[in-house]
Amino acid sequence: MKIKKAFATMFVTFASVLLVAGCSSSDDNANKDGKKTVEFMHLWPEGSSKQHNKIVSDIIMDFEEENPDVKIDLEVLSNEQYKDKLKVLSTSNELPDVGMTWAAGFLEPYVNGDKFATLDDILEEDLKDSFVSGTAEAYEIDGDTYGLPLELNIATVFYNKAIFDEYDLKEPETFEELEKVVKTLNDNGVAPIALGNKDRWTGSLWYMYLADRIGGVEVLNNAIDRSGSFEDPALIEAAEKVQNLVDMDAFVKGFNGLSDEEAKSMFMSEQAAMYLIATWDLPNYTTNEDVPQEFRDSVDYFNFPTVDDKGDMNSFVGGPGVGLFVAEDSDVKDEAKDFASFFVQEWGEKSVTDAGVIPATKVDGESLDLPQMYVDVLDDLNAASNITLFADVQMSADVAQVHLDMIQSLFGEDSTPEDFAKEHEDALSTEE
Amino acid sequence: MNKVMSNKWIIALYVLPGLLLISVLIFIPLILSAYYGLMKWDGIGAMEFIGLENYINAIQDAKFWESAFHSFLLALFSTLSLVIYLAISIILASKIKGSDILRKIYLIPMLLSSVAIAQLWIKIFNPSNGMLNSILLGLGVENPPAWLAEPSIVLYAIFIPILWQYAGFYILIYYAALKNIPESLIEAARIDGATPFQIAYKIKLPLIMGVVKVTIVLAIVGSLKYFDLIYVMTGGGPNGASEVMASYMYKLAFASNDFGYGSAIGFLLLIITLIVTVIVRKATATKEEIQY
Amino acid sequence: MGRIGYILLYFCLGIVAVFQIFPIIWLFLFSLKDNSEIFTGSPFALPSEFRWENYVKVWEGGIGGYFWNSIWITGVAIIFTVLLASMATFAITRMRWKLSGPVLGLFMVGLMIPIHSAIIPLFSMFLNVNLIDNPWSIVITYTAYNLPITMMILLGFYYTLPREIEEAAIIDGCSIHRMFFRIILPMTMPVMSTTVIINMIYNWNEFVFVNTFISSDKYKTLTVGIQNFIGQYMTDWGAIGATLIISVLPILIAFIFFSNKVVEGISSSAVKG
Repeated sequence: MKIKKAFATMFVTFASVLLVAGCSSSDDNANKDGKKTVEFMHLWPEGSSKQHNKIVSDIIMDFEEENPDVKIDLEVLSNEQYKDKLKVLSTSNELPDVGMTWAAGFLEPYVNGDKFATLDDILEEDLKDSFVSGTAEAYEIDGDTYGLPLELNIATVFYNKAIFDEYDLKEPETFEELEKVVKTLNDNGVAPIALGNKDRWTGSLWYMYLADRIGGVEVLNNAIDRSGSFEDPALIEAAEKVQNLVDMDAFVKGFNGLSDEEAKSMFMSEQAAMYLIATWDLPNYTTNEDVPQEFRDSVDYFNFPTVDDKGDMNSFVGGPGVGLFVAEDSDVKDEAKDFASFFVQEWGEKSVTDAGVIPATKVDGESLDLPQMYVDVLDDLNAASNITLFADVQMSADVAQVHLDMIQSLFGEDSTPEDFAKEHEDALSTEE
Repeated sequence: MNKVMSNKWIIALYVLPGLLLISVLIFIPLILSAYYGLMKWDGIGAMEFIGLENYINAIQDAKFWESAFHSFLLALFSTLSLVIYLAISIILASKIKGSDILRKIYLIPMLLSSVAIAQLWIKIFNPSNGMLNSILLGLGVENPPAWLAEPSIVLYAIFIPILWQYAGFYILIYYAALKNIPESLIEAARIDGATPFQIAYKIKLPLIMGVVKVTIVLAIVGSLKYFDLIYVMTGGGPNGASEVMASYMYKLAFASNDFGYGSAIGFLLLIITLIVTVIVRKATATKEEIQY
Repeated sequence: MGRIGYILLYFCLGIVAVFQIFPIIWLFLFSLKDNSEIFTGSPFALPSEFRWENYVKVWEGGIGGYFWNSIWITGVAIIFTVLLASMATFAITRMRWKLSGPVLGLFMVGLMIPIHSAIIPLFSMFLNVNLIDNPWSIVITYTAYNLPITMMILLGFYYTLPREIEEAAIIDGCSIHRMFFRIILPMTMPVMSTTVIINMIYNWNEFVFVNTFISSDKYKTLTVGIQNFIGQYMTDWGAIGATLIISVLPILIAFIFFSNKVVEGISSSAVKG
């Protein structure tokens, strides 16, 4: 009998622990005091993105002040964790009311699965004409827009003027000039280009620019949207050019095993002369006090050169970064949309002045007190003839993985340019 | 005696809480993941039942088998490295001076999280200013390899930190097992004139054989589902050269939005591990367990 | 073995010791550097200036709350795991029943599940019973997922326990519970301490489950403190180093404590011989 009793006690204890634990948590959207709660998830932790984080907090405070019956419930995760968690949440249909998404390929399954709400109403009213053209469109699927872009980035080649001056080099305008620069630097024992291709999208930037310059602005887009083929001669030639650069030791040693961060640090410690990266890095070369002034002063950038007299130096690889989504199943959809719209409006100017982000909303660069490099980039953006969205963002997640793996393989010379194109073509055509 | 030791209620009382817990938290998810493997599902939209298609595709997937091969290599090396850990433990457990402090020092790295270990080894392996290549250059080696970038080297390079990370774990277990051997047995052998080697080989080793077998299983199972450092240090690259089963599964489910397929791979991983474990258990089985 | 043999032995042991102690020294130096020193300097090099502000930054990031969560979640999960595992192992290895083999097999299968297969089903289960964003979901998950490995480690030791002890205890009229708690558990102290150390390290450093099941800041653990310094485009490695050092200290102390227990407990079983 004693044993049975012990047995029962144990189970009761065990069950009650679970029960108490289970009942004590309540995630209802209506609070006791009648406030509505909007859940918001973002990926700018305080420790690493202090300014971003602060702007967000300020926006939330302002919003709660203006809307006393709404409370914003915040969760902050780092980039990778954010993506994983969003995935898990979506499997159980538990997305936050407002969160961050990426454009095109990332967005598409969420839209097809009816997880994100259309934001056309906001775009037509509060935010009419406030986005730089082409940015909100990246969040458009079948004519409806599902995301409000927050950032806009273009990739350019940053270079170290001090090193260039030392060897009497000037900004290359053609691929041949770039090759000469690479050769001179190599002859003098300076690593020409920092590249962290463990992250793979970094190498993709190089490939995309070469494809753009050789085949024009549409060839890559067409291959991806299936109005063209990836086995287009221009796309194969671009792959050959990549391997030419690899053969000349243009990139730092072991680039396929280095993360972008490691490559960046090589550039920033003057161990490499050039670094192709997007404009989210601008603060490092302008306002970031943690970087030595001397270094910041010696950095400049040039647009990717033309190849064999082909291509337009005002055509960029880039696109909007993260944008806001509103969950389709949200219980507080109206409040969530209000918040998203409010967020974008407040974000614009604050983000450029306080966090050094180039926002996707139109800002008047002239009226703000910005470092020269920002003014230059904003000018370039105004003069841009085209912005091709990052390939891995354009593609569906599945194909993007093939693309990224093949980039690593191409740069590592494990695949020929022809195989590289064929693998892409195969992956893309199975999607059709 | 027999009656008391086979009282069903007591057995249930001792076994059921644990069994219940793993049934709910491990077996239900396991069955669910096998079930997701029957679906075409991106983890976001609606599921579509496609029968065994994912499993059939997986069996024909060269990338999967390549990653499985890498996992098996890791299992092999992990098992072989147990010999070294065993030797170290025998030395530490014998009564040499300073063994107490040495043992503690030896186990320190195991306290560190994978994040720290990955950063350390990324620094060691850095091709231009990493420690390893600096030493090699100092020794006059021309053009030392880029350890994490060369497809033919990367897998072996990354095994080193993985094996090193787990050294403490096995040393700790062996040490506890060795210390569990009654001193009188060893003393008796010593009086009979056995050398330290003989004592280790003829007395200690057979006595802890049960524990050694357990660690073999742990090393194999742990290796076949290994994920952490691979994911942080190479992401399975370059182009799959260091991919293992668990990282491949993760990539499919979380990066390629192929949750159904990823789940099928996860389930196959378990089946493969199960088969290997059964074979190893059979191969190392002895008629009776030793008691002292 | 002669004198030279001993010198050689100590030389080898010393080299290994240097290798093993190096990471923690490296980590400490790492925690006092900034990103450029971390990436470009030699790992051995002293920082150009000791950046204690990394620690200040970490402290201001609110690590205190995470700290407490890590301690109690780790602690409670260890108690559950080691107790449940010891009970189950005892029943499987020492008691006589037909299904002991298959049941042991079930526990072993529990060892083999890759966690990334499990998190999505687990999430939806916890959601259904309202355990999402509740630290108990973490405690029971840790308990369940560490149970198999803990049992495996205990297993080898339980098999070697002398039968005579049980027989003597039962002849003396000792109940099984009394025997288990008063005789068996103390006798297995060394191996229990071993499993406590291993569980402690696993729970303390785990972050996939915490990140997935917990969303409120007030329930997050130390490993999440690390995430705080990983940015979208930039990561503050110095601060991560400081977080790692702060978080390794408690388990270092606990480790030394339990590591002594691994040896101490033996005296009790050695008495019997």
